[in-house]
Amino acid sequence: MLSGPMANEAEIEEVRRSLGLDRPIFEQFFVYVQNLLRGDLGKSWQSNEPVLDEILLRLPASIELLILALVTGTIIGVPTGLYAAYRPNRLFDQITRFGSLLGFSIPTYWFALVATFVFFFLLRWAAPPLGRIGMEVFPPPDITGSYFVDSLLTGNLAAASSAGHHLLLPAIVFSIIVSAPIIKQTRAIALEALGSDYVRYARACGYGPGLVRRIALRASFAPIVTFIGSETTTMLLAVSLIEFIFSWGGFGQWGLNAILFGDFAAVQGYVLVLATFSAFVFLFVDLLVLLFEPRSGLLK
Amino acid sequence: MTTASRTAPKPIGMRLLSNSRGLTRRSPTFAAGLIIVGFFAFLSFFASWVAPFNPIQVFPDSVLTAPGGQFFLGTDGNGMDVFSRVIHGSRFAFSIAIPSVVLMIAIGVPLGLITGYRGGMLDEILLRILDVMRSFPAIILALAVVAATGQTLLNVIIVLGLVEAPIFARVVRAEVLTLRSSGFVESAVAAGNSTRRVIFVHIMPNAISGATAQIALRMAWAVRASATLAFLGIGIQAPAPEWGAMIRQGAEFMISGQWWIALFPGIALVCIVLGFNLLGDGLHDLLDPKRKPTGK
Repeated sequence: MLSGPMANEAEIEEVRRSLGLDRPIFEQFFVYVQNLLRGDLGKSWQSNEPVLDEILLRLPASIELLILALVTGTIIGVPTGLYAAYRPNRLFDQITRFGSLLGFSIPTYWFALVATFVFFFLLRWAAPPLGRIGMEVFPPPDITGSYFVDSLLTGNLAAASSAGHHLLLPAIVFSIIVSAPIIKQTRAIALEALGSDYVRYARACGYGPGLVRRIALRASFAPIVTFIGSETTTMLLAVSLIEFIFSWGGFGQWGLNAILFGDFAAVQGYVLVLATFSAFVFLFVDLLVLLFEPRSGLLK
Repeated sequence: MTTASRTAPKPIGMRLLSNSRGLTRRSPTFAAGLIIVGFFAFLSFFASWVAPFNPIQVFPDSVLTAPGGQFFLGTDGNGMDVFSRVIHGSRFAFSIAIPSVVLMIAIGVPLGLITGYRGGMLDEILLRILDVMRSFPAIILALAVVAATGQTLLNVIIVLGLVEAPIFARVVRAEVLTLRSSGFVESAVAAGNSTRRVIFVHIMPNAISGATAQIALRMAWAVRASATLAFLGIGIQAPAPEWGAMIRQGAEFMISGQWWIALFPGIALVCIVLGFNLLGDGLHDLLDPKRKPTGK
């Protein structure tokens, strides 16, 4: 594949030897791990750049989108789910249940496409889905990696407004996709807490509804945080697809392209970063839960 | 193709369908899901009769016609009728989702039964696989494997089935763990039944109710996943009337204003996935004695 379609036997053999593919597979894996520990993820054959550099270049763009959607999705999702659980089977609950199930069923990429069509083509409100900042604006110097934050930090308002404008639609689409499962799960967790024995006990003690809800909320905290943490894993696919539609040029889009073009070193890097990212998220969630868990006694 | 409506809720479905009015009252979600999925099963079975044109017939004179007139939902960039293609797309949805979910069950359920009952080494391996799955979107795994192993329909089915089989194993395993030490299992062992007989005759019928609701949810997943693969250009390729592939074709026309090519297959996709999700949620409500059915 690397040596091109016209290569003869000897040339193919030469490329294989230079890549170390003639050695047994265990040795290949050993060499990969050895290089990995030195921070060398191999080279992408598409760009001939080291994979690690490519990842570090693109990761901030994805993280910008991911964090923004996660925060907005949580801000929308948790209160909506809680409110629905406080008044189960009322109209609001029925609507949010159906809405979250619908959000669950919409393919991310199609939703992003339709949003682009409506808000860019029809209404001309959104920026064109062609990257993170307008062509006419110089991108700001690299500080955090987020164009919007960086241009604000350097006081470049033109760049900030352009970057914000480009960020808006993908972030809204992503937040809606993210909030659907959060609403559903928050409602289920809160309902379970509200139906539990200690809440019934609290009611029996004559506590008002506000206090009862606070007790239930305290108990629901850990499962909700754990769920949102595990949601970030599925968000990794969604972020890749959204970047794909909006030509975001981030890590997710790069990873999907690597898969589509069979760029193995890049795919390995992509998978590795995804798994590492999830491992850190799970660790963070576990620590957070431990901190707020009343029984652990860390928060006196 | 009609197996769609049958495979999903089979054992409980039979019992509950005899009382469909009561069912609608006890779980409107389930009833709504059943109607939607049944509608698509009907479409896929009678696609050739319902669709006005052959899905890959080209009309060179009417490329990119807007909806209305002869072409109800317009034509795409190749001059093919979008309406006929959307209808035929339901065939792809079922013909990928059903076999892959059957594969998930065929692998996952026995695996869950054995690991749950025996424990030990195999159980540890299963738990580690589940840990890995938790840290990684399954569709990305499927994407990479299908891209690397060859892009055929069969490969898509096998990979989707393998990737999600551990979910069934997890659900069944959890049930088996609670049943393992119950009275009827102990008496079956004491009566001299072989381990295999205890697992498959005594435990299995009691352990698969949770998996039943999963069938519908996994169908939803498989339909979505196969469309995502096709949208990215992996698996089923463009002229075939697959919804994901059609959205891919329509994506480039979306910005220039030919919205109908990508919009309609997407709506069909949303509806069928929603149908399966409603079905799964409804089954979950109906089968879980702890949860009060909605509407009560």
